[in-house]
Amino acid sequence: MAKRTAKSELEQVVVNPSRLPPADRRTFERLQRLAERVVTAAELGRDPVLDVPARTLSNIQYNPKKGILQMGSATNRRHLFNLNQARSFMQTLLVASGAARLIAQGKTTSLRGMYYLLKHTIEGAREETFDEQEESDSAIEDLEVLLNALREELHLYAKNAGAMVGEIVLVDSGDVIDCSRMGSGGYSIPSIVEPEVIQFRKCNAKFILHVEKDTVWRRFNEDKFWKKHHCILTHGGGQPPRGVRRLLYRMHHELKLPVYCLLDNDPWGYYIYSVIKQGSINLAYESQRMAIPAARFLGLRAKDYEQCGLSPSVRIALNETDRRRAKQIAKYPWFAKKEWQKEIKQLLDNGFKLEVEALISKDISYVTEEYTPKRLRDRDWLD
Amino acid sequence: MEAKWVAVSQEDRKGKGGSANAGPPSNGDNKLASSVSKMRATAQALAAKQREISVSEFFAKNRHLLGFDNPRKALLTTVKEAVDNALDACEEAGILPEVWIQIQPTGENRFRVDVQDNGPGIVKKQIPLIFGKLLYGSKFHRLRMSRGQQGIGISAAGMYGLLTTGKPVKIVSKIARDKPAHYYEIQIDTKRNVPEILNGRGDGEDIPPNETGRQYMEKRGIAWIELEHGTRVTIELEGRYQRGRGSVEEYLELTALANPHVTIHYQDPEGHQTSYQRLTEQLPPEPKEIKPHPYGVELGVLVAMLRETEATTLARFLKESFSRVSDSVAQRICEAAKLSGRANPRRLSRQEAEALYQAIQQTKIPAPATDCVWPIGEQLLLRALHQMVPAEFYAAATRPPAVYRGNPFIVEVALAYGGTPPIQRISREAFEDLLAETDARTLRQFLAATFDGMGASAADKILHEAQLPRRIMPSNLDEDQRNRLYETIRNVNLFEGQTMTVLRYANRVPLLFQAGACAITQTVMQTNWRLYGLEQARGALPTGPVTLMVHIASVWVPFTSESKEAIAAYPEIQRELRLALQAVGRKLGMYLRRRQRAAHEGQRRNLFLRYLGEVATAVSMITPVDREKLYEKLVSVAKRKTAQADLEFDEHGRPVELPQLTAQDYGGGVLVVDPPDAQQPNPLASPEGLETQQPAQTPSRQP
Repeated sequence: MAKRTAKSELEQVVVNPSRLPPADRRTFERLQRLAERVVTAAELGRDPVLDVPARTLSNIQYNPKKGILQMGSATNRRHLFNLNQARSFMQTLLVASGAARLIAQGKTTSLRGMYYLLKHTIEGAREETFDEQEESDSAIEDLEVLLNALREELHLYAKNAGAMVGEIVLVDSGDVIDCSRMGSGGYSIPSIVEPEVIQFRKCNAKFILHVEKDTVWRRFNEDKFWKKHHCILTHGGGQPPRGVRRLLYRMHHELKLPVYCLLDNDPWGYYIYSVIKQGSINLAYESQRMAIPAARFLGLRAKDYEQCGLSPSVRIALNETDRRRAKQIAKYPWFAKKEWQKEIKQLLDNGFKLEVEALISKDISYVTEEYTPKRLRDRDWLD
Repeated sequence: MEAKWVAVSQEDRKGKGGSANAGPPSNGDNKLASSVSKMRATAQALAAKQREISVSEFFAKNRHLLGFDNPRKALLTTVKEAVDNALDACEEAGILPEVWIQIQPTGENRFRVDVQDNGPGIVKKQIPLIFGKLLYGSKFHRLRMSRGQQGIGISAAGMYGLLTTGKPVKIVSKIARDKPAHYYEIQIDTKRNVPEILNGRGDGEDIPPNETGRQYMEKRGIAWIELEHGTRVTIELEGRYQRGRGSVEEYLELTALANPHVTIHYQDPEGHQTSYQRLTEQLPPEPKEIKPHPYGVELGVLVAMLRETEATTLARFLKESFSRVSDSVAQRICEAAKLSGRANPRRLSRQEAEALYQAIQQTKIPAPATDCVWPIGEQLLLRALHQMVPAEFYAAATRPPAVYRGNPFIVEVALAYGGTPPIQRISREAFEDLLAETDARTLRQFLAATFDGMGASAADKILHEAQLPRRIMPSNLDEDQRNRLYETIRNVNLFEGQTMTVLRYANRVPLLFQAGACAITQTVMQTNWRLYGLEQARGALPTGPVTLMVHIASVWVPFTSESKEAIAAYPEIQRELRLALQAVGRKLGMYLRRRQRAAHEGQRRNLFLRYLGEVATAVSMITPVDREKLYEKLVSVAKRKTAQADLEFDEHGRPVELPQLTAQDYGGGVLVVDPPDAQQPNPLASPEGLETQQPAQTPSRQP
């Protein structure tokens, strides 16, 4: 019955999308066009279909000129009257209605919130609309590509992940945030960092140093690396969420700050770098607004074990998955550069991977006081 | 009981055998034995003990060979032998058989078995021989399809009765309305294998066909149902009455199933009466008697035949003693054996006989005529099976006649799929009776041993659902536990745990024991039923609600033993079995696949219907459109999209039946009944020549 009340609430707003703010109005009209397609098909007695751009590797193209991943034109046609597709067809439309509701009411929610918003028992059946959050997440991604709209435009956000400190002052939802006074925890990067939410006020930083995870980031923050070198220090908790990527993108483009990445020396570290640089396979449709082709890979490098004279005990042997992934990555066209091929080959030849923390074995502050400054000074990085 | 048996035979030995010494060498031979050092017995001493063994003696000692291994089986075997004989007699005389069976308790573990038929009766002088002499009969020396084939059965039953109760066999037989009825009380002399007549000063009694006769019978306590002609056998024996698998009831039910032209009346020891009415008024065609086929004769038999023949020339001997041997075939055999066609067959030497035998194997002789074996027929099989086993799909296949070792035979198979397993059809009373009678030690054993088609897993499932321990003694169940068990049995889904029930028949006689040793069971297990949509573990019976009926008809059914419980695995027989099983299997496969598709279609439509509501709601929330109208439109599209196989679209989204395949689509020999949830059992809705409808004749049980 919650469904019914939701419907009546909505109808008041739906009638007049022109009352919505311009960005929302655009998204809302797209949602309406999507729904109209179903209505039209039904009226013509046709099988309603959705042409969902394919979010698969085969439909991803690397644009060498722009240096980013782009989505191809391949689409998957999703039929309502197909046993295997009926459920996901329904789920996509449910997500669309959920987004319409959020936009109409001017509210935002998390992916999980959306899941709960739409999850209910299908009338006359013992089946749930969504069994797992993955189902609604995937439907949301479908909707994004269908509408060519961003998740944020659908009033959805992910949980905060990633933190930032450094010589920058910004405004977040009207609050002034001075990132040089964030204590030991740093500023938690929200998932929606669009200009409507975050504006840059003042920036003294010369570059951005992005590290893989929280532990390394803490070392740098504790050593006040950003103060000494006038930079912004971010981390993305492993694979950076889109909020972090979008913020890096905005700072890079709007404030003209170069981005350096300090990641683990393993296939996953390489891939994190490539996601920041070219975009991810899964979210290729957002590369335009997130990829930073000029980002640089500072470390760790396969050569570092010898160059830095690390102790043998910090090595972690490559397992089968690592090797497979490394070979896979070597084949991606955006890793085709000679230096990168050499890097991956050396990793495989080494037969072990290195975490950034391995540098601690030299000295607790080795990474902040010697390793990183030296690399920056020597301009010793991969591009 | 065992002790008594031994005592009787030893007494016999002393009384009549005279000279035989029972113990190890002693007495008179003492001296001799000691003089030959360390020799345990001399040739002479052994010779003194070597003597002829009477057939009766042999079988008295080896009664398990005849199916009298335990009291329960003895009771069944007695009924079975009498009924088989009755049916054979009726059919041979061209009379539609009607049989009355009565079992009455006469004491602790003692029963009186009465079997009467409406057959032609037996002429006076034959009666004692038929019932009082082992290996006497009309069936051994001929090749003709009949139930009995050895001439052992009924006299062995009489012998068993005599040995366990001391009571003679009583026979009443009448051959015509105005002829007297003959009454005999007979016991078999095991030593000499001859009958001894006890009444009428060793001559039997004649009872006139009038009121006086009737009064006389009443006075003497001779039971007889008034008939123009027929035979009644009464045997009193030590036995045990128990229902369930391997019981008299099961045997009779299965007999009725394979003999739709027979009416059976049965009264059990508790006085309950059951009747199986015949389904057809048509007697099966009379099987022709044939001469042996040359290929089926072994050398020893050939030699014996040569010695006994009355033919004057070898060519004539071949032509007259065997089927399918024409003048030219006889000529060719003689030529191949390098013998003259005009030689005297009785004077053939051993070498010559062997040459003849080899020549027969090398000569091309036509296969035996096959009009000597008659199957039950697909249509009757379907009808009979439908009568006995409520199911939704029936298929039958009759193979063309084939030959093993020169004996023609026919294999036919009928199959019923679906319906409730036997255990779920049982009444509360019958269930209580079974529980009370069983000698199973544990409840699990009771369930698995009493009911057909109950695998161990099904038994476990029931016990688990009923929350009863597996090891509990069936007799220790209290009222509450019995209720719970019965309720569970009725309600638990046994579809998966059920194993296929295989009903085996030879010449229309059900085979109840030694399933594992039988070629039929073995071939069923070797057949890959997974191809036909059933689940089956390797080398096991398939699982599923399936009842399979397999019938082998032959002029000589090759049993593995005299008790006729299992069929020997001749490759030719196994091959025919396999082909017949595959034929019904294919039909079942077609049906199951179709059913699955129907269910699938139904599911598919349900699925769409469910999602359409959600889609309509979602769309109407985004854009101003009437939800109900949109829903209607989507449903109408859905109808068209899913209506490829079925045109009926029902409101509640329930699976709708597909148009039925006709029997022709299956290649004939099938019967499809509406699924059980259609409530009313639809009698015989086959489009194929089954229009002669009989009123429903389920066996009626009256207390």
